[in-house]
Amino acid sequence: MAHFTNPRHFNLQEPAFELFLLQDGEKKITEEIFTGMSNTSDFTMLKEDHTLGNLIAEHLKAAPHVMMAGYKIAHPNVPEVLLRVQTDGTITPREAVVEACKQLVAAYGQLGREFQKEFAFRQIADQGEQANAMGLNGHH
Amino acid sequence: MMNSLRRVMQAEVPTLAIDLIEVEENSSSMADEVISHRLGLIPLNSVDLESVLYSRDCDCEQYCENCSVKLTLHVKCTSEENMNVYARDLIVDPNRPNQTVGVPVITDPEGNGCLIAKLNRGQEINLACIAKKGIAKEHAKWMATTAIGFEYDPHNNLRHTDLWYEKNAKAEWYVSHNAKYEEPVAEGTPFDYDAPPKRIYMRVESTGQIPPDQIVQEGIKVMQQKLAGLIHSLIDDDQGGDANTGYNGPQSPEYGGGDGGSAWGGGAPGDGFTTPYNTGGNQSSWGGAGAGGGTTPYGTTPYGSSGQSGWQ
Repeated sequence: MAHFTNPRHFNLQEPAFELFLLQDGEKKITEEIFTGMSNTSDFTMLKEDHTLGNLIAEHLKAAPHVMMAGYKIAHPNVPEVLLRVQTDGTITPREAVVEACKQLVAAYGQLGREFQKEFAFRQIADQGEQANAMGLNGHH
Repeated sequence: MMNSLRRVMQAEVPTLAIDLIEVEENSSSMADEVISHRLGLIPLNSVDLESVLYSRDCDCEQYCENCSVKLTLHVKCTSEENMNVYARDLIVDPNRPNQTVGVPVITDPEGNGCLIAKLNRGQEINLACIAKKGIAKEHAKWMATTAIGFEYDPHNNLRHTDLWYEKNAKAEWYVSHNAKYEEPVAEGTPFDYDAPPKRIYMRVESTGQIPPDQIVQEGIKVMQQKLAGLIHSLIDDDQGGDANTGYNGPQSPEYGGGDGGSAWGGGAPGDGFTTPYNTGGNQSSWGGAGAGGGTTPYGTTPYGSSGQSGWQ
């Protein structure tokens, strides 16, 4: 055993991409059933941060059949997210998480499409305005 | 959801930046390291980055034409006066993944680009740079955005902030430029402490490598890939995945990293599943209360405490 190395601080020595690249054999997300509460699972997401943790936890809080959802990042230097989800038993926590992710993907997809549409409209409108302004100048 | 998007646009939208430098000759007053650092920060065109591989995913030994762009800089001051070295002096090697990628971004009216160094008479810089694809989580030089403005509720109707004041908060605080899109709540209206924010304003400022609208789209894509990765990982645990999940797309370490043709590409209408959110028009999933019909509690706010009612 190394005497002084604290595994919590391994990132101080490791290259920066350790923050977002899974090592060989690492799994993005693992589920562990939490026995302290009914219908509860702890999910560990490796190489993730508040971006996903907060997003999924907040989304789950509003989901049907989900009693409780929360996440923590145990240490800011350690890129691991712990997500705990409790459901009412009609669905498993895993199903709840998968469903939340699917809905979020769809929501982002819709956001992207709406954005693309609105942005294109806006560009056309701006061009129209420019053309108008030039036309007016020409008729002076 | 929008905050995640903001975080992703800042930290995880890939761009191209100079990562390796071989210094042949440097007789300038600046150390090799200083020049290298300055070169790393120069924005390079990254619009068409799909065809550029990450060096770590590439088959090559260290770097090659599929995963890097080579730029060379060879300048020498021969005149009496000091000479400025600009980003326009970088020569891009034509052997690169596509013909737009890697060109230094030059937006100033003189067409100079960033100032790299100043040379005195007789001083010379001769070096070769390798630009690679990366994300800002690894190093800030890969950031696609300079700043993202993020705001909701410009009139503070929801009272999520407490405005400090000497005498009168209204008179002493500037109204943001987003305020014109919303009405301040009328005096004397009963306060709905549980109202969710309905509109979020974002102002995306690009470094010039990718236009801002494309950064938004890229950010959305990265988010979807992240979420898809989770779904994959979770469904794989369920033994091969159910046939009806529709998530059996190609499984590369980077979902959709290829030509954007994966199921998660984010462009195609009809993502293969329906969501209660899609009925809500152009509102975000948190926006429209009850957008998905009476049974869904998604209209409740993450900020309020009344979510209980929706949880049966």
